[in-house]
Amino acid sequence: MTDKAILEYGKERGIRNQTLKRWLNLPESDQSALLDLAHGLRIGENHLRDFLDWAEEISLRDGLSLCKIIKGESIEPIWSDPRLGRGDKLRRIKEAMRRQRFPRLMQMEREIQKRIRAMGIGSQIQFSVPSGLEGGTLTVHLSSTSEPDLKKLVGELGELLERSEIKEIFEYLSGRAVK
Amino acid sequence: MRVYQPQEVIVEVGTEQGSVFKNLKRSLPNIPFTFVEDPQSYLSQLQSSEDPLGKGKKRLLLTRHRGEFLKKCPGSDGAVCCNYFVINFASNCPMDCSYCYLQDYLAHNPALKVFSNVEDLLEEAHKLFSRQRRFFFRVGTGEITDSLALDPYIGFSEQIVPFFAEQPNAFLELKTKSDCVENLLHLDPKEKVVVSWSMNPQRVIDQEEHLTASFEERLLAAYRCQQAGYKLGFHFDPIIEYSGWEEDYREMVERIFAVVDYRRIAWVSMGVLRNTPNLKRIMRQRFPSTRLLSGEQVLCPDGKMRYFHPLRVSIYRKMLQWIRSASPTVFVYLCMESREVWEQVFGFSPSCEKELGNRMVSAD
Repeated sequence: MTDKAILEYGKERGIRNQTLKRWLNLPESDQSALLDLAHGLRIGENHLRDFLDWAEEISLRDGLSLCKIIKGESIEPIWSDPRLGRGDKLRRIKEAMRRQRFPRLMQMEREIQKRIRAMGIGSQIQFSVPSGLEGGTLTVHLSSTSEPDLKKLVGELGELLERSEIKEIFEYLSGRAVK
Repeated sequence: MRVYQPQEVIVEVGTEQGSVFKNLKRSLPNIPFTFVEDPQSYLSQLQSSEDPLGKGKKRLLLTRHRGEFLKKCPGSDGAVCCNYFVINFASNCPMDCSYCYLQDYLAHNPALKVFSNVEDLLEEAHKLFSRQRRFFFRVGTGEITDSLALDPYIGFSEQIVPFFAEQPNAFLELKTKSDCVENLLHLDPKEKVVVSWSMNPQRVIDQEEHLTASFEERLLAAYRCQQAGYKLGFHFDPIIEYSGWEEDYREMVERIFAVVDYRRIAWVSMGVLRNTPNLKRIMRQRFPSTRLLSGEQVLCPDGKMRYFHPLRVSIYRKMLQWIRSASPTVFVYLCMESREVWEQVFGFSPSCEKELGNRMVSAD
């Protein structure tokens, strides 16, 4: 029965045969869990493949079934929150699953963002790090409207560089804070 | 090591006069040889089978190579490269490592092939080296095959080693995961040949490097080659991160340097697990229970997935520390890594591929 429902969903949403084959190869309970998620969020090929990839990889690493991952405590509250629209649910569920899939990377990204926020920087100076922290770089963006303004910003930047948060951010980016 | 034997040798008619055919006949007396005018029908049949690459490893095709043998290593976009050249005397590999990029690279060319026209290969190399005497070439034979796993049957080393021994401006690297070094031991490399091993802890070999020699078998083979006058190389590539990896890799490094003479090691490279999204898909199909796909890998600018930047810098630093504890002077480099990673691991980055290539030649 689930097989038929999956094939119907696949046809309706244009899911590729390769992805459908992976879905159909799952145990029954995992197939149903994914089908519920897919129907509820109305996801297409790309999101579905992300969910499949991440759930399979978490399953291999942690020994959990796909069903337990999708209906687990990090995702279930988002799923059942009536205040959230479909778009918000999809974004948050993906974020939760990404946190489970990449725990150290996401923890590191959070710690860096916490330190950037702690510095209380105004809107004219922006610190950013690349997605996935690739390159290990901190990028500083200065927006100014005049030479005196720019000089002032450079001065402020100089002061910010004395803060411990900067040193800690580079500890994270350079791999020295990896556990 | 479980010695590989093909189930059948398929011979393209016209290749029987060469040394490779004669070596195959002598070393595989009980294996059927099938002669074909045109290997295309075998290749088409193979391509349409389930798991063509896996099936392709079971038979050996002897055929004439009709293109260039020698070319620049393709490297990776944006990565620091080492100015390496490759000679392809064969295609595909009798071993079956779950992470092997050949699963993707040779997906449309899956037959295990050996090329019969070795004299053309040597002629091509000779022409290039003699035209460019001011340039020093580092050449490897392990890009799309294992350099030595088929050597007991084809005896290629008995031609290529003496050839390189006489070249004033070229080194040869034979890179392997086998212990098939018998043919090398009676040859004189004259300091022009490096035999190198890809190394991993036995736990990784058991789980992911199928049909390869064990860690101790590789190490013994390395020791024997060193005793026979060869310089050695070690490639810690791919480094796999898992719970307990530090202890396993540290012990592996210590064991290697306890057995071989570090002063006769030409180079050591490091590289973490890398795969393209397409290779990941193939690995998932062919090796569904591999845990390699559950590491924290992200897509890098060159299109390859690697452990995220701070994690792999941390891995390289630890490996370097263990290597340096055992040997302060051995030349260590990174394979297919960005300048930023080089700078964070070593404190510098080569300015260009020629610089890294020259450093390696000087180190040797």
